Amino acid sequence: MIEVRALYKDWKEFALKDINLEIKKGEYFVILGPTGAGKTLLLETIAGFYIPDSGEVRIDGRDVTIIPPERRRIGFIYQDYSLFPHLNVEQNIEFGLKSRKKSASQDTNRKRVKEIMDWLSISHLAHRYPATLSGGEQQKVAIGRAIAIEPSILLLDEPLSALDRRTQDHLREELKRVKEEFGITMVHVTHDQTEALVLADRIAVMMQGRIMQVGTPQEIFNKPLNEELADFVGIENVLRGVVRINENGIAEIEVDMGVTIFAVSEYRDGAVKVFIRPEDIILSKSIGDSSARNVMNVRIKELHDMGPLTRVKLDGERSKHSKRIELVALITKQSREELGLKEGDAVYATFKATSVHVVRG
Amino acid sequence: MNSLSGWPGTEKLKREKVYILFLFLGLVLVAFVFITIGNLYYKQAEDFSGLIDAATDLVVLKAIAISITMALASTLIAFLFGVPLAYFLARKEFMGKSVIEGIVDIPLMIPHVVAGIALYGVFMRYGLIGAPLRKLGIVITDAYPGIVVAMLFMSLPYLVDTAREGFKEVDPRLENVARSLGASHWRTFREITFPLAFPSILSGAILSWGRAISEFSAVLIIAYHPISAPILIYEKFTSFGLRASRPISVLLISICLVIFIMLRWLQRRRG
Amino acid sequence: MNAKHIVVLTLIAAVVLSAACISQDQGKSKLKVIYAGSLILPFGELEQAFESEHPDVDVLVEGHGSIQAIRHITDVHEEYDVIAVADDSLVPAMMYPEYADWCVRFATNQMVIMYTNRSNYAAEINDSNWYEILARPDVMFGFSNPMFDACGYRTLMVIPLAESYYGNQTIFDVLIARNFDPPLPLIKDNGTYTVVVPEVFEPQGDKIAVRGGSVQLIALLDYGGIDYAFGYKSVAQQHGLRYLELPAEIDLSSPEYCETYDKAKVTLGFQRFTSVGVERIGRPIFYGITVPKNAPDPELGLEFVNFVLSEEGQRILQDNNQPTIPPEVDNLDKIPVELRPVVIKEIKE
Repeated sequence: MIEVRALYKDWKEFALKDINLEIKKGEYFVILGPTGAGKTLLLETIAGFYIPDSGEVRIDGRDVTIIPPERRRIGFIYQDYSLFPHLNVEQNIEFGLKSRKKSASQDTNRKRVKEIMDWLSISHLAHRYPATLSGGEQQKVAIGRAIAIEPSILLLDEPLSALDRRTQDHLREELKRVKEEFGITMVHVTHDQTEALVLADRIAVMMQGRIMQVGTPQEIFNKPLNEELADFVGIENVLRGVVRINENGIAEIEVDMGVTIFAVSEYRDGAVKVFIRPEDIILSKSIGDSSARNVMNVRIKELHDMGPLTRVKLDGERSKHSKRIELVALITKQSREELGLKEGDAVYATFKATSVHVVRG
Repeated sequence: MNSLSGWPGTEKLKREKVYILFLFLGLVLVAFVFITIGNLYYKQAEDFSGLIDAATDLVVLKAIAISITMALASTLIAFLFGVPLAYFLARKEFMGKSVIEGIVDIPLMIPHVVAGIALYGVFMRYGLIGAPLRKLGIVITDAYPGIVVAMLFMSLPYLVDTAREGFKEVDPRLENVARSLGASHWRTFREITFPLAFPSILSGAILSWGRAISEFSAVLIIAYHPISAPILIYEKFTSFGLRASRPISVLLISICLVIFIMLRWLQRRRG
Repeated sequence: MNAKHIVVLTLIAAVVLSAACISQDQGKSKLKVIYAGSLILPFGELEQAFESEHPDVDVLVEGHGSIQAIRHITDVHEEYDVIAVADDSLVPAMMYPEYADWCVRFATNQMVIMYTNRSNYAAEINDSNWYEILARPDVMFGFSNPMFDACGYRTLMVIPLAESYYGNQTIFDVLIARNFDPPLPLIKDNGTYTVVVPEVFEPQGDKIAVRGGSVQLIALLDYGGIDYAFGYKSVAQQHGLRYLELPAEIDLSSPEYCETYDKAKVTLGFQRFTSVGVERIGRPIFYGITVPKNAPDPELGLEFVNFVLSEEGQRILQDNNQPTIPPEVDNLDKIPVELRPVVIKEIKE
C-alpha cells in the first residue's frame, strides 16, 4: 500500500501541492491529468528520486520519505523507456538483479533473465542494443528490467504515449498481464483518458499540482466534482439551473425559461450545474416509447464527422427571455445515415435522468 | 539516394550547397594549421640529418619524455579531481555555481606568464602551499612537481568543461532508473553515468594532455629545470637559432600527433 | 531594463571602446624596435618621447634576451627598424655582414647582486662577504641562462674574477660548480679562467635557480623564492630592488679594467650549431644599437637611433638609471651620414 500525505514539492517549473493519496495493494491506479500538472514529479517523488519539501510517503506502513530509491524496491518506467544504451537487452534486464543484497550466482540471474524474456516474448532480442529496437520492443525490455527485481510497486510514467496505436493496445494487455501475474501495485501516469478508462481500477485526476478527484473510472467520467473536471473528462454539456422540486430522489431542474431537466439527485433546491455526456444524448426524428425522462426539441446546427462517430451541435428552441440552450451529442455514423440527419433538421434529444450529473454551483 | 544517380551532377551539387559552402569555409582553418605545420616539416626535410641528430640526442629525448610523462601526470590529477567536479556541476544547481564555473575557467583567460608567476608565489619555499610541503621534504619549484603544477593549472579547464558537458548529456532519468533497480548512487555512477560520459571525458583528457605538453610560459617561471621540451626548444632557439630548435619541435609534434591519432582512433572505436 | 540587457550593453561598450583604442593608431607609420630585456623601462620612455615629437609615428617596442632579439632577425627573418642589445660584441658576431655592418655603443652597465629586505642575511651582506653569504645553506640565488642571456654569461665571469680579486680559489667551486650535476668545470690556466657551459646545463638541488632572463629572476626575488640574483644595476634600480655593488675590478663596468676582465672567459662546451661563436671574453659592458639591413623603414630607424643618441635621449636613459657613454661606432666608414653628427669616435681596441 502506498500512502502519500500532505506532500509538497517545488521543482523547476513544476509543483506538488498538498497531495494526499492512498493506493491499495495490487491495485491498478492511474493518475490522469493534462501536461504540466506535475504527474511525473509526483511519481518521481514516490520513487524517491526527489525528497519532498514537506509531507510524507509511506509504503506498507513504513515511512520512506527520505529513504534512497535503491532501497524502496519500486520499479520505474519512463515514457522513453530509458534503457541503458551501452548495455544489450539481456544486460539491461540483468542490471537490477546484480544489485540485490544476497547476490545470487550469475547462473541464477541468467536463468531469471531468460524466464522474463520468454514471458515477454523478447528472447530473440537478447543481444541487441536498445538503439536497434522499436518503441514497443524497448518498452517490453523496460518492463522486463523493472519486474526482474520483483518490485512490490511499479511506477509507469506515460508508458504508452510514444507508441503507435496497435502497439499501445498490445502493451496495454501486457501491463494488465504484469499486474495479474505478479500482483504488483501499478501506478500509471497518463494524459490519455481512454488509457485510464481501460486500465484503471481507480483514477486520480491531477491538475496544477493538486489531486482534484479520486474515484473509479465510472465516478471520474460520469460524476466529476466540478465544471473544470467535467470539461477535462469530455463532458461538453454543462447547463446552469435551479432545483424547483425533488420527488423521490428525482430533481426537477429549470435550466431555461420553461425548460426543465429531470435528474437523479439529492438536491432539493438552490442553484446547480448539470453535466450530460454527449454520448448519453439520443437523437430521434420522432418521439417513440422510451424510459428516458428528458426530451427536448432541438435543431441541428452543425455536424462534424469524426471517423466512426459524428459530433452533433444542437440548438434548443428559441426563447424570448434567455439565451438558447446548446447541446452536443455524439452518435455513430451509422445512426446518422439511418436517420438521414443534416444541418437544419429538427430532432428530439432524449436522455435519461440517471445520465444527468448534478453538482452545486 | 539511388534515385539521385540519374540526376545531372549539378542538381546533386545544388542539393548539397550548404555542405559545400561550409566545407570550403572549414578548409580555411584546416589549411591554416596544415600550412603552418607543413612548412615547419618542409624546412626540416632540407636538414634531415639535423632531425636524425635530434632524434638520437639523449638530451632531446629526455626533454620530450619529461613533457609527455609530466603531462600525463597532470592529466591524471585533473581526471581524479576534475571528473567529480564536472559531475557535480552537471547535476546540481546552487548559489554561486557560475562563480565556481568561472573560477575553473580562469586559466583559459589568464596570460600564462601571469599564471606562472602566481603559481610560483604559492609553491615556492615560503609560499602558501610550498612552505608546508617543504617541511615534508617536497620541493615544487625547479623540480618535476613544478612542471606538473604549471601544466595542471593551464590544462584543467579543458578536462572539467568537456567532462561537464559529457555528464550533462547523460539523461538523469537513466540514473533514476538504475537506482530504482537497486543500484547504489556509487554503482550507478560507475556502471551507467561514467561509461556513458566516457567519450567526452576521454576527449577532455586528450585536450588537457595536449594543452599540458604545449605549456611553456608558466613552466618557464616555476620549473625552468628539469628541462621539458618547450623550454629546450626555447633554449635551443635563443642560444643556437632555428636550426637547433626546429628538429626538436618537429620531433615533439610528430610524437604527439601519433599519440593523438591513436587516442582518437581508440575513442572512435569505442563510440 | 533587465540584467541581460545590461550585460549585452556592457559587452558592446567594451568592444566599441577596444576598437576605438585600436583604431587610434591606424594610419600612422610604424617603427619597430627590438631590444635587450634590461632596457624595457628606459626604452618605454624613449618610445613615448619619440612619439610625442613624431605624432605620425607609432613606435612598436619588444623586449627579449639580447641573443634572442638578434635571432628574431637572423633566424626567424622578422623585420625590425632598430635593434639594441646588452652586449655590443654580439652584433658583429651574429649579424655581420648579412644583417648589419655597423654598431654604435651608447650605454653601459654594472653587474650587481640584487636582493630585497626579506632576503636571508640582507642586513649582513657587503662587498667583502657576499660570496660567503651566498654559500650559506639557507641562501638561494639565481642568475640567467648563460647560453643566451648576456647577464648570464657575465655572472659566470664575475665569480671567477672574484676568486682572483679576493684571493680565494674556492669561490667558483662552492657557489657554482658543485651545484651542478655534473659539476660545472672551471679551467684555470696561467691566470685566466674559462668556464665551460655543458649542453646539459641543469642545477642540482635547489640552491640555484636559472631562468631565461634576469627580468624573470626579479619575479622570483619579489616572492622570496630566492634571496639574491645577479643582474644589472640599472635593472635593480628600475625595479626598486636593493643591490650590492661589487668592486669595479670584477663588476665589468669600467673600461679601466679591460685587462682584468678579459682573464675571464665563458665557452659553450659543445660544438653543434655554433653560429654565435662558442667563446665569450670578459670585457666592460657596452650596449650596442644598430639599424638592421632589412629594416622596412631604415630612415625612421636612423631617426630613432639619432634620438637615442641625442642629448635628450641620453638624458631619458640616465633618468631611468641607465648609464650612458659618449656614442662610439666600430666602423666609422659604414655608419650612415645621418648619424655622423652624433657619432664621431671610432672604437679602437
